[in-house]
Amino acid sequence: MVQKVLPQVVGNNLNLTVTKPKHMEMTMTNNNYIKRLFMFFLAVALFAAPGAVFAGVPDGVKKDLLEKGKKVYFKRCVWCHGVEGGGDGPSAERLYTRPRNFIQGTFKIRTTDSGELPMESDLIKTVKNGLQGSAMPAWGEFLSEDEIVAVVNFVKTLVQDRSFDDTEDEEVNNVITGIAADNGKGPLGDAPWAATKGPYHLGVPQEHIDAGKELFIKNKCMECHGGEGRGDGNPTMKDDWGFPIVAANWQECWNFRGARRDPFNPFNVARTISTGLNGSPMPNFREQMTGKERWQVAAFVNSLCPRKKIDPLTNKPVPDFLIQSVYTEGPVVPKIDDPSWQSSYTDHRIVPLSEETIENPMRHYIAMAGQITRGKRNFDPKTDNLWVSSRWSAEENAVYYLVEFDNRFLSTDPEYPDAVAIQWPGQLQDLFGAEKPYFIYGDSKKPVDVWKANFLAKDYNATNPPNEKGYQLDVTVQEFKGNGFDAISEKESEGKVEVVDSIFHQGRVKVMFKRSLTTEGADDVQIPSEQFIPVSFMQWAGWDKEHDEHMAISTWYYTILKPALPASLYYMPPIIAAVFICFQGWLVWMTKRTRKMYDEGKVQRDELPK
Amino acid sequence: MNKNLVSFLVFVVGLAVFHNAIFPIFTPKEVGWILNRYVYFLLFVAYLIITHLLLRLSPPVSLKGLFVWSVGFYFYDYVLYPHIPWTLFITYMVMWSIGTFLYISQDPETFREFRAPIVKTIIGEYKLARIVVFTALPILVGFATYNTIYPSFQEPVELRTVHPAPPATTKVHGKTYPLESTNNPFRIDEQDNYKDSFPFLDADKHEYMKYVTEGGTIFFQNCHYCHGDQLNGLGMFSHVFNPTPANFIDPGTIAMLQEAFLFWRVSKGGPGLPNESTPWSSAMPPWEEHLKTEEIWKVILFEYWYTGWHPRTFGTEGSTSGGGE
Repeated sequence: MVQKVLPQVVGNNLNLTVTKPKHMEMTMTNNNYIKRLFMFFLAVALFAAPGAVFAGVPDGVKKDLLEKGKKVYFKRCVWCHGVEGGGDGPSAERLYTRPRNFIQGTFKIRTTDSGELPMESDLIKTVKNGLQGSAMPAWGEFLSEDEIVAVVNFVKTLVQDRSFDDTEDEEVNNVITGIAADNGKGPLGDAPWAATKGPYHLGVPQEHIDAGKELFIKNKCMECHGGEGRGDGNPTMKDDWGFPIVAANWQECWNFRGARRDPFNPFNVARTISTGLNGSPMPNFREQMTGKERWQVAAFVNSLCPRKKIDPLTNKPVPDFLIQSVYTEGPVVPKIDDPSWQSSYTDHRIVPLSEETIENPMRHYIAMAGQITRGKRNFDPKTDNLWVSSRWSAEENAVYYLVEFDNRFLSTDPEYPDAVAIQWPGQLQDLFGAEKPYFIYGDSKKPVDVWKANFLAKDYNATNPPNEKGYQLDVTVQEFKGNGFDAISEKESEGKVEVVDSIFHQGRVKVMFKRSLTTEGADDVQIPSEQFIPVSFMQWAGWDKEHDEHMAISTWYYTILKPALPASLYYMPPIIAAVFICFQGWLVWMTKRTRKMYDEGKVQRDELPK
Repeated sequence: MNKNLVSFLVFVVGLAVFHNAIFPIFTPKEVGWILNRYVYFLLFVAYLIITHLLLRLSPPVSLKGLFVWSVGFYFYDYVLYPHIPWTLFITYMVMWSIGTFLYISQDPETFREFRAPIVKTIIGEYKLARIVVFTALPILVGFATYNTIYPSFQEPVELRTVHPAPPATTKVHGKTYPLESTNNPFRIDEQDNYKDSFPFLDADKHEYMKYVTEGGTIFFQNCHYCHGDQLNGLGMFSHVFNPTPANFIDPGTIAMLQEAFLFWRVSKGGPGLPNESTPWSSAMPPWEEHLKTEEIWKVILFEYWYTGWHPRTFGTEGSTSGGGE
């Protein structure tokens, strides 16, 4: 009998605690046996050392919990994962990241080697934290610890093609803290930098990020993840079940399935590079990279994700509900690449802006969802969010909106072009208080004004290799008057909206709209400065043949054309300070005079009660 | 060493140690009866009092006043959780400052003691203090003026009525329903009898569970995007919409409403709301456009079964026991 030690990862800090030993029968091949014996001795040798690792057997099914687990499963999980765990519950057909099919025992987010079953602790973490970017919510605050452990054990019994109780053919190797069975350059281990700072995990030394970028190129990560990591590399991938699958967009780390509600933590990426994602084309890279190198790639990948405040309830960035249009002296430069348009996507409250960009318009985060309310509904939008920045010029009497969004693949079909639109209330002057038109194309009483840019990329094909220069867009602008999603008409008056610059670059579309603040058109919005104006956004993915109300949409936001800085900003503070200095002088004079009067006996001090 | 300095150090160093080393211990993920932030705060106050008693420190009233005021500030800004909005914070701090002033001016002696260092600073007996204070204050005033004049814009606050008054009747799919007397046609039995039944598995055995299964199926094909897999209003699209989707687990939503009210809200959706409930931005579809009448009733039946709440009824006792799990 060979004694095996079962490793178990506890918490996020990867401490290794050794639980009860498991007994294994000696029925494996000789070669395998020697290897395992060696592993065993290694395990014994490393027993005292922290962070040691052992090949082990899967966590068996805890049979006494199944009754309870079944109850939880059939109340909470069955709706997506199905009666037999085939990932075919009633919701499945309308979810783009389909619910996990448990039957094959293929689980993506693990700490074990590629192809192996997950540890029980991996599954518990998945249930507790949910899978960000999919419909799987975090159950940690909803179910009790006991219920989660029970339902995880029940889910193990839904695996038909393999068995968690099979100690002969199944093996699990912790590739995070442990030494991988055969193909690795060692465990992932701890990060090569001291520690990251705060919930945003800042402060990774630049040298590691740079090294990670080189490794990223060397290991051809861009073939799937695209030149800047937006997952725009390969449009033809399928998962093990034959469903289409796309690579992760690293610039939206809050949508990482394995984010574990800690989206900015580089560990999420380091773990994924070490374990691969079972069932998907993502392999592990342990043959190609040492633990340190995997951390460096993770540092680079992590540095691509803009830091935004994350809402702890929804696990998504908090939207910027007020889009501030910056006053521009003279005309606005209508070029996306111009220095006057550069600013960080990271929130300036998390990382302060640099000197050069401090006066530039900020990138506002606009959350998008499928239009699932009226007409033909869109359950699987291709865009998660937009970034909007704006400038306006009194001299030009014009406002500019730069709208950017990630879309992995653009359409090449002229019948279904990609498009993005800005929606305004058509008759701003008729709105009272918070009143607005209906957010999906207005209503019969309150029309909307929609500026829509339809575009196709020139010389583009989704299967092209990453193109550093990006693609120019063929843009057609349309202006609509909307009186409801089924009452949209193109305006008859001459169009005033222009798209002055646009590009599709490494998975990101950038479109710059321009319009004069005032127009002659009766259906056009007239844009005043220094007022809160409702505005919302729509987006169509031609790749998915989206059109009309089958689109992604935002709710109403506000925009304001900020005034120029008042001149009083420069002369008032010194004046007030000077007045205050005079007041101080008066105070000193008064106090001294009172003292003097006391001393000369002109005034009596207040008497203390005896 | 100067006893006042000792007292000051006891306060400042103690606060630094307590805040950085002990506070994290008392704010674990799962809050207990002992390990919580308020116990921590009491401990800190106890530490201050006990150290001062043991070391026989008796700082002047001005220092005591400073301690009292700072402890209040610390409580409202760091300890109290969740953090209160700044307007409320200012209100509380004004009250706390008044309280501190009352403490200082409790009798003429303490008040004079409190004034003494201030007067000495003003007339220049404390020379260094006067230089520092008289230079720093005008600069601060200048900066404050700059910040006040600097234009800043916050999105306007909008209020809305969550549960508007329902109409007397509603017409769905050509049939008119009086809201007061309409009941769910699928509520054929007492809901609590099916607490531990399984959807799908028991759908053939009990008609009630058949309806629950059908309602759940419709919910998870249409509603979970906003109202969430847990019916808590945190679905995968919920963060996009404003107003945020209703949380059915909350005792303030379906638990206090009649089923007929839900029927009206579900059928007519956002566009059917009155103006005070901001119909223009509600993403709730008028479900009569997508679902049949009986499907709407089954979804409502499912929502109550899943959350354990009972619909409010008139005539008998109101909303009784609720699970709200």
